[in-house]
Amino acid sequence: MLEFYKASQNEKFQYIIVDNTGTIKESDNGIFSIDNHKRLQEVHPFFEIFTELLVIPNETYEFSCINLNFETQNLVVDISVKTQDNSSIVIIENLTKHYNNYQLAAQGRNESIINSQIIELKNEYLLEKEKFKNNFIANFSHELRNPLTASLIFGNLLSESALNAEQKGYLNIIKSANSDLKQKIEDILDIAKIESGKLALNTSVFSLKAMLQDIVTQHKTLATNKQLEFVSNFDTKLPEFAEGDAYRIKQIFDSLLANAIDFTNSGRISLHVSLNYTRAQKANLQVKVIDTGCGIAPKHHDTIFERFMKIEPDAQSHNGSGLGLAIVKYLITEMGGTIRLDSSLNEGSTFTCNFNVKISSYNSSLKHELLDKQTPERSEKQHILLLEDSELMQLTLLKILAATGQFYVSIISKGEDLISNIIDKDVDLILSSNTIQGFSIADLTTAIRSLPREYKKTPVIALSTEAYKQDIKRFKKAGVTDVIIKPFDEQTLLERINKALK
Amino acid sequence: MSRPKKIVLIGHFGVGKTSLIRRFVENTFTKDYKVTIGVHISKKEIHIKGDTPLTLVIWDLEGLDDITKMRTSYLLGTNGFIYVFDLSRPVTYENLEAELEYLKTNYPNTPTKVVGNKMDLVNKAFIEENNGIFTPFVDYYVSAKLGSRVETLFTKLAEALI
Repeated sequence: MLEFYKASQNEKFQYIIVDNTGTIKESDNGIFSIDNHKRLQEVHPFFEIFTELLVIPNETYEFSCINLNFETQNLVVDISVKTQDNSSIVIIENLTKHYNNYQLAAQGRNESIINSQIIELKNEYLLEKEKFKNNFIANFSHELRNPLTASLIFGNLLSESALNAEQKGYLNIIKSANSDLKQKIEDILDIAKIESGKLALNTSVFSLKAMLQDIVTQHKTLATNKQLEFVSNFDTKLPEFAEGDAYRIKQIFDSLLANAIDFTNSGRISLHVSLNYTRAQKANLQVKVIDTGCGIAPKHHDTIFERFMKIEPDAQSHNGSGLGLAIVKYLITEMGGTIRLDSSLNEGSTFTCNFNVKISSYNSSLKHELLDKQTPERSEKQHILLLEDSELMQLTLLKILAATGQFYVSIISKGEDLISNIIDKDVDLILSSNTIQGFSIADLTTAIRSLPREYKKTPVIALSTEAYKQDIKRFKKAGVTDVIIKPFDEQTLLERINKALK
Repeated sequence: MSRPKKIVLIGHFGVGKTSLIRRFVENTFTKDYKVTIGVHISKKEIHIKGDTPLTLVIWDLEGLDDITKMRTSYLLGTNGFIYVFDLSRPVTYENLEAELEYLKTNYPNTPTKVVGNKMDLVNKAFIEENNGIFTPFVDYYVSAKLGSRVETLFTKLAEALI
């Protein structure tokens, strides 16, 4: 038994005697056959190294895991060499099975490590790409906001001047184009916010009934302009006051109704709002926007809520960025709701959505907020210090403020002049761009808030091209009283100024 | 004819050492990755500087993420090194300077060529962006897949050995 075992082990070894040039004197050919008198260097390139090793006597060398590939067999062996004066012994141990198992384990391990490195790199690349895109969008919208604000406001001012019918027609086209452009910029920015997880809902108390009335007034006018009938129907059980993100809720209505009007050339637009149920102080609203427009083929129903999705061949002729419905779906989902489309080609469309708002009892703070929107009558003119380095914006703001007859306006265009102007002049309010040649409104406001008592409480309104929530939070933290995002209209500006002056 | 020259390829696992050798010796390429364990040795005769024949014995070492862990017996009688890294995986070149310093210290008179492999997976802009990392050390940007500059790499190293 023992002899048998020893004999089987012999097959694992090969003993070779060579002279100091590498010529084979004797081999037991235990693993592979080699001819005597041949040089070992000719057997396999591994042995080329022996030319140098064999001439140094009385040394021992160990080589592990050597792959010896021959025509008929591939071996993985350990090799040890003991050199003497004229001859050396080479012992080869066949460990092919052992090393092949090790190779399999190493294969799995290395592949898994490389794959995870590649995934990590792809992830980093995607994050970089996302960051670049968001920065691009933020910068792009920043650059557009000043000229667009000027265009919107001067368009409105021009419409109040004496124009003939033809001029009024041209002006309406300009105003409509401005309004579209503003909406598209907002849509792109909203999508960027959604993708970067920065779009958060801001909850406040608002009058649901007043909002619905505003929506009807606005869209009825637009529908009538296209000779469309506009029908609205509101459930009497709807709460009068609700708590939610009023701006975003109105955005949902505006987007669905604007689409309906845009894609309908004749017939009727209907808006139905009903109360599904109330539970735990939450009201679940159901909104239906029905049109008699061109309709949407069922094959497009699944993709209609995707970004940049326009399904009509001539969709370019319609307004909208193709982002509106994607934003609507996101907002509704964030409000714990759903949206559904029922439509067939040439048979109109019905968008049905449900979402939650909190039910709010009448709130005194709301009353104040509503009153804030009314322009107060003041006996004295108020002094506004305008800090703005864009000449276009200076002119725009001056025009609006001067037209009210309620304000004196001083204009400065350098941040370093701000503090001296506050101290020298009796300033009631500071209106400032968010960045002024190397200064940030946050830094400037921090400086104002550290002035002596008679100056430090001067209200500061930032006119901002930075529209992300964290930007607004940063300004507020520095002591900025209010932030108006560009582009804005004159009504918004005046309302917010009056509120800050109260 | 001079004695064969031993060239050892080292670098992290998966950087393409085996593929570079296969491209040079057999002029073939496979995208399948097979982990090398221990060492594979191959041989190729080339002609350099006019028509001088030279045999290269090329040792393809198992990839390691730490060069200091190499089996020293594999490096006995080494005439030249090729240090290979993967241009598409930063982990394979983030310690480039330290690893090359280790080689220089322990094998001071052994010519070494440093190559960034998988050039086909990156573009020129990437190389320019990482100029500061690569330029001080890298001799060749190569692609075993496309065969670009592989022959040049081995030939230039061989020329430095005689």
